[in-house]
Amino acid sequence: MIEVVNVRKRYRRRYVLDGLSFAAEKGRITCLAGLNGAGKSTALKVIMGLAPYQEGAVRLDGKPIDRSSRERISFVPDRIAMPSSMKLADALQFMADFYASWNGARARELMRFFDLKEGDKVGSLSKGMAAKFNLVLGLAPDTDYVVMDEPFSGIDVFGREAVASVFSSEWVEGRGVLITTHEIAEIEHLIDHVVLLKDGRAVRSFDTERVRDEEGKSVVDVMREVLLA
Amino acid sequence: MNTNEGWTEVAFNGRDPVYLQVIRLFKERIATGRLQPGQQIPSRREAAAALKINLNTAQRAYKEMEEQRLIVTEGNSPSRITQDAGVLRAIRSELLGSAVGGFVAAIRNLDVPVEELLELVRREYETVRRQDDKQDKKPGIEQGRGDE
Amino acid sequence: MNRYLKLVHMEIHRFRYFLLGLMALTLVGQILTVAIATSNEAAKFRDPARFSIDSADKLSFEWIVRISQGMFALPILISMAALLFYVFLIWYRDWLGRSTFMYRLLALPTARRNLYLSKLTAIVLFVFVLLSFQLILLAFEQLIFHWIVPADIRGESVFTDVILSNWLFEVLLPLSGSQFVSLYGFGIMAVTVLFTAILLERSYRIWGIGYAAAYVAACGFAVYATPFALGVNQLGSYFYQWEIFAIEAAVCFLVTAVSVALGFRLLNKRISV
Repeated sequence: MIEVVNVRKRYRRRYVLDGLSFAAEKGRITCLAGLNGAGKSTALKVIMGLAPYQEGAVRLDGKPIDRSSRERISFVPDRIAMPSSMKLADALQFMADFYASWNGARARELMRFFDLKEGDKVGSLSKGMAAKFNLVLGLAPDTDYVVMDEPFSGIDVFGREAVASVFSSEWVEGRGVLITTHEIAEIEHLIDHVVLLKDGRAVRSFDTERVRDEEGKSVVDVMREVLLA
Repeated sequence: MNTNEGWTEVAFNGRDPVYLQVIRLFKERIATGRLQPGQQIPSRREAAAALKINLNTAQRAYKEMEEQRLIVTEGNSPSRITQDAGVLRAIRSELLGSAVGGFVAAIRNLDVPVEELLELVRREYETVRRQDDKQDKKPGIEQGRGDE
Repeated sequence: MNRYLKLVHMEIHRFRYFLLGLMALTLVGQILTVAIATSNEAAKFRDPARFSIDSADKLSFEWIVRISQGMFALPILISMAALLFYVFLIWYRDWLGRSTFMYRLLALPTARRNLYLSKLTAIVLFVFVLLSFQLILLAFEQLIFHWIVPADIRGESVFTDVILSNWLFEVLLPLSGSQFVSLYGFGIMAVTVLFTAILLERSYRIWGIGYAAAYVAACGFAVYATPFALGVNQLGSYFYQWEIFAIEAAVCFLVTAVSVALGFRLLNKRISV
């Protein structure tokens, strides 16, 4: 389980994260939702060690996150994170060199699924293809957790369908997935757990099926209730 | 046998629990004969991928259906639709019941006598049946009914 | 260690065309210079009107190098400027542009200090590759000299004299071991200070540039002021010259150690993408 405990992070004058606490469990798909500027992306960066924070703690299965945790958590950023001149094949080799948990067979499967060619250069990929390649890089290693920052951002309708199908697939089976997205309405039936962020804090954290069962509300309904009140 | 055919055009609403919607879908298909008794159904994983839902949801739906004895899983073989006549009848009654309940709830405030209601239902039913028959007689169209 | 080496390999691989370009530039520039200068001088030797009291009786390679100060130095100066530029670019290229490779690097399951060390190693390697290349090139140029100049007017040169005859070579290829270590040790110190300044800039949004500049100034001051504080330019000072040198070396070592340690800490705790 990835746990964020009372994290506060300041950026210039204001607190982007102001006492944020939530957990993302293994085997479930958790979504951080909220309006723009609520701190979703920042929370993910804090978890991955890409941004410092002033107070609080981030833990992986009870222990503080360190270098070895990075072997167990994949990151799928919202932008291309490989040198433009690199060929896709070289980028895959780069990951294989550094991650003991890299699964080459799964990487090839994913490349086929997303229709990406190893000979292409990273710089020549369209936004949609780059997002898919990021998914390949994030899903290929045998990590316990996958953290994704806006995996649907800037992709066309069919690209989004391809990306969404990943969440129902064996590639995600058994892993803990933590994502942020604006397109929550489109994928809410894929998500197990939602954490609603407002002003850097988790204002509501709930199980999607339980809320549908007990309150008859969709995720968007709850968001409307809590965030627009 | 293509177990995944016909699963992909389902849309789920966000307000009812998805696992219940999946169960309802199965019940409808059993009642309409699209799924035959004893027919093999996709695995949980295949169902999740085909229906585009969360694996956990698919697992929960299957578990529920097993408990309600809609489906049977023997050991490691794929799950199959039940062949228990009692269960099948119960499904039909349940779906009928909810359709009728919905109809009655919709028109209860219109204050129409029962005989008129029954006459309207009979006429609508016969019109639809005639259209169905015309479709059946058109050459070249196969009506898929579950396993072909 | 393995991952550190992979990162070093990656850094070298990314820079390879640039490095080859600098080597090519130096090769072409110096060979052309040698060829043209040698031809001209050899022709002058044949001219009887040339003879005067202080003209040598044979043409030596050392002479050629001596009269080609500027043209020899130019490609080297360009390479030095390019490498200095790359000291900055080797970091900034991972942040700027369409792809932010730094996301990937920081998320790698390797110690963050390997990012710092691999970039440092790469820069040091580039410098030594260019230096070695220059030495080999000089030998090759001497060969060209031999081909052009006929034996009867050809004079021999001692290789060390050849190096001493160009002001830039004298500085960059010092003949004493301790001078070499001092010069390049100082260079490595400078690179670590700049690396840490870059990391300071990247770790503190607005004030980053300020902290970076302040850091460079502080290090520069410590290194520059120490000898004067110890009285290096005073006649009756308390310390011997060699003691001042030793203390200065210790200060440089300290600055390097602090820069590296601070750089590591910034990468681990404060860096932001």
